[in-house]
Amino acid sequence: MSKKKSRVSPMIKEVFAHIFMKPATCKYPFVKAEVPEGFRGKQVFDINLCASCGLCSRDCPAKAIEMVEVEGKRRPLFHLDQCIFCYQCAESCPRNAIKSSMFFELASTDKSNLVVKPEPSHQEKSGA
Amino acid sequence: MLDFLLIFRVLVFPGFTFILFFTLFCDWVERKIEARMQNRVGPAVAGPAGILQPLADFIKLLTKEEIIPRDAKKNIFRIAPIIAFSVMVFAICFLPIDGSSAISMSGFTGDLIFIMALVTVANFFLFMSGWASSNPYGGIGAARVLTQFLGYDIPLFLLALTPAFLAGSLTISAIAASQYLPFILLAPWGFVLFIIALQAELEKDPFDIPHAESEVVGGLETEYCGGKLAFLHLTRDVQIVLGAALVVELFLGGPYGPVFFGLPAFWYSLWFVLKVLAVVIVTEYVTCLFARLRIDQVLTANWRMLLPLSVLSLALTVAMATYVYPMVV
Amino acid sequence: MQARLSDKVQIQPAYLGKATIHVDAGLNRDVVRILLENDGNVGISAITGLDMGEKIGVMYHMRTDGLIVTVRTEVPKENPQIASITDLIPGANFHEREVADLFGIVFQGHPNPARLVLPDDWPANLYPLRKDAKLEEVTANVENCASCSAQHEPVQLQPQSEGKLVNIVVGPQHPALLEPEKFQIKVDGETVNDVEPRIGYVHRGVEKASEQRTYLQDVYLVERICGICNSCHAACFVETVEKIMSVEVPARAKYIRTIILELNRLHSHLLLLGHAGLEIGYETLFQYMWRDREPIMDLTEMLTGNRVISSAMTVGGVRRDLSETDVPKIKTRLEALMKKMDFYQKLYDSEPSFRMRTRKVGVLSKEDALRLCVVGPVARASGVNMDVRKDDPYEAYGEIPFKVITRTEGDTFARLQVRLDEITESINIIDYAVDHLPSGPYRIKVPRVVTAGEAVNRVEAPRGELFYYVKSNGTAYPERVKVRTPTFANIPAFIKTAIGGSIADVPANFVSLDPCFSCTDR
Repeated sequence: MSKKKSRVSPMIKEVFAHIFMKPATCKYPFVKAEVPEGFRGKQVFDINLCASCGLCSRDCPAKAIEMVEVEGKRRPLFHLDQCIFCYQCAESCPRNAIKSSMFFELASTDKSNLVVKPEPSHQEKSGA
Repeated sequence: MLDFLLIFRVLVFPGFTFILFFTLFCDWVERKIEARMQNRVGPAVAGPAGILQPLADFIKLLTKEEIIPRDAKKNIFRIAPIIAFSVMVFAICFLPIDGSSAISMSGFTGDLIFIMALVTVANFFLFMSGWASSNPYGGIGAARVLTQFLGYDIPLFLLALTPAFLAGSLTISAIAASQYLPFILLAPWGFVLFIIALQAELEKDPFDIPHAESEVVGGLETEYCGGKLAFLHLTRDVQIVLGAALVVELFLGGPYGPVFFGLPAFWYSLWFVLKVLAVVIVTEYVTCLFARLRIDQVLTANWRMLLPLSVLSLALTVAMATYVYPMVV
Repeated sequence: MQARLSDKVQIQPAYLGKATIHVDAGLNRDVVRILLENDGNVGISAITGLDMGEKIGVMYHMRTDGLIVTVRTEVPKENPQIASITDLIPGANFHEREVADLFGIVFQGHPNPARLVLPDDWPANLYPLRKDAKLEEVTANVENCASCSAQHEPVQLQPQSEGKLVNIVVGPQHPALLEPEKFQIKVDGETVNDVEPRIGYVHRGVEKASEQRTYLQDVYLVERICGICNSCHAACFVETVEKIMSVEVPARAKYIRTIILELNRLHSHLLLLGHAGLEIGYETLFQYMWRDREPIMDLTEMLTGNRVISSAMTVGGVRRDLSETDVPKIKTRLEALMKKMDFYQKLYDSEPSFRMRTRKVGVLSKEDALRLCVVGPVARASGVNMDVRKDDPYEAYGEIPFKVITRTEGDTFARLQVRLDEITESINIIDYAVDHLPSGPYRIKVPRVVTAGEAVNRVEAPRGELFYYVKSNGTAYPERVKVRTPTFANIPAFIKTAIGGSIADVPANFVSLDPCFSCTDR
């Protein structure tokens, strides 16, 4: 380290300069925060691909996936209040029926909102 | 009619109401500018640019439940914050804000000393409030307030004598009125030292020992909540305004400045407000520059550095006022 | 190596570290003493207890020449007694107390055999990590306690005087501690006379819980031992499992792991340096540091899908590849951070109030650092040249040039300065790894069932050496997972340096260890 040591604190200049600078803070609830591609958000489950194997439920480290009966077949139900968003389920799924979405605003006052249900219809369930 | 004017001046302008709202406004400026210096946004939600945030905080605290600890000395615990607050506001009433002080006939010889004494009394009541809470952290915090205050009161007072010497008076209105050339130009050394001593007096970094939350949790406020806490916070904010106002009166030419048209009282109030804000920003800037010193370092800094320097500063001022300035001015 | 005891011990080279020494229960002290005589730098990394049915295994994982030597002995379960080695190596103090708590082994001659991690009202003969410990006994005990807690005296929090000494209780809830632990500090005026730590307030029994989950699930479990050094835990665990299975991870996975581990170190160090600013009342420094930490979090989010918990490691590689388009983003952000580091270095060199608060505070001498077996930046700031990345290279560290930062002062300032310099080194490491990223697969398929065996492994976490021991019994569930976190090894250093110092220095001194209690408690 052959840096020449200065006696004057660089803070004096830095703090003064910051008075005229834009704050670094994101105004989050007013301005939407952006998440990058591949973010591990709320799950999107495609029932048409599901083979009812139950591997996702078996491998889930948080035991957040419950297998429920939908139209006579066993399908995964995601309990988001227990989910740790590791996406082991997506990795274990042999048919890629589970995908992640960029949706992360999961706070809720009602626990019953915090599930991703396997929809019996043929429409794909949207993230919101 | 005179009585009505007096009541208006004491209660509304430039008295209690004005001081209260000005204090809240200063608090907002302080928070906003500190946030900017730290590259943050600061208060942003309540009112335009968060200007109502201090008021919102105050009202919120007033609505909270009041809890008095079982072991507290209840009467003192209850009234000490209110008394401290009242004494601070009372002290401001003696400062000429719109050209004369709130109690207009109150200016008497030596009111500078009286104001300094009032500040001491107010700080003593702050100490009482912490001590009465019977909490170790409250006790330590309160003891620190007192230790620091007693130490820094002496240099602060010595430094306050600098402008008194230059003006040849111990009356604040006379000192303020005699500054055709602000004393900051005549005695800049006194101004710099006064700001440092004030920083300690107002318990701001690098001297905010009584608020060192990593050491003493909430300091003297630890056991307080609700309305009493609101008043403790307000006391602290009023103290900052008072300190800044003292600087304005003593070194920056008081409320006096150019009058362009209309009522001089309006312009004087405006100059006063602007000057106080400038001082608040300067103290906030200093706060942002430093880390908190340790209590022994704070006391050492006082007795070894600030006290001798303020004596020197006074001597220099006396010498200049006697031999140099009469020739120049 | 140990010719003097060769007829009584069996040495098994290249097993559980550099070598494993099997000894009888009575001889553990002798072996440790001989190890100490051979090399003055011997430290103890961990003591592992192991339920072996009839017997309880005790393993002393000693550190010599930067490598692990395991001293292995067994005691009968009925009468689990063994001689303490705390008088030989003071750093073994906490390790022995923890094993005593969790396995019920009596360490004879231990200076303070009080409970360390278990609560005071835990039943006397229930040792949670023994295989025969029943959950019902604990739940029954909780019910008992609910009824008896009413009779308990409320905890006295007022300072109690013992003659001239005043007791100050810091914690379990205190602004200087972000996590709940208790330190009872005896103060004589402003001077600290004694510190009595009590940990375990957030003990979650991760070691036990991991025995009931598969290896696959355990990766995510151990990752959550510590939020800040999460990747280190996951990496250390998967490496241990890979050692048991003798799996060689593809080179590309090694480099990606290195990048993620170093990002982890960057954000952890920036967090600590900012937090240190807060503890000494330097709010501006705190805000700036955390602002500059944000791009690192964004990078982690971009690479792994989450800001903090990266979940990037898996047995056999990493879970996500690093795409070419990410490389320039990584580079520009690190360059920006590098410029900021220059500012911080100037600040460290010149800011008077910062230097007044940190220099000559909490000085830990090199001798004490060795005796107390401290790890990581705390040891390096006292002049102990130890860094698992250099001593026992894992992942791609053997191929990447970097310096081990050491200083000799051993005070709070040195501990912070070491971290500041390590940030620069980390940026260089990531830079190098990104430039030299090998092509090829980023993970290989491994079976879910792990072959029987055991292994130890170490990773240099931001706070120091992180130690894992995993024993597999040939199923998909581990038989035993032992975690020794860096803070657990560093707390004795705080006790040592706080005594004799000012009470006002306690926060600054303490935070310079970068304490992480959720790690410590597991």
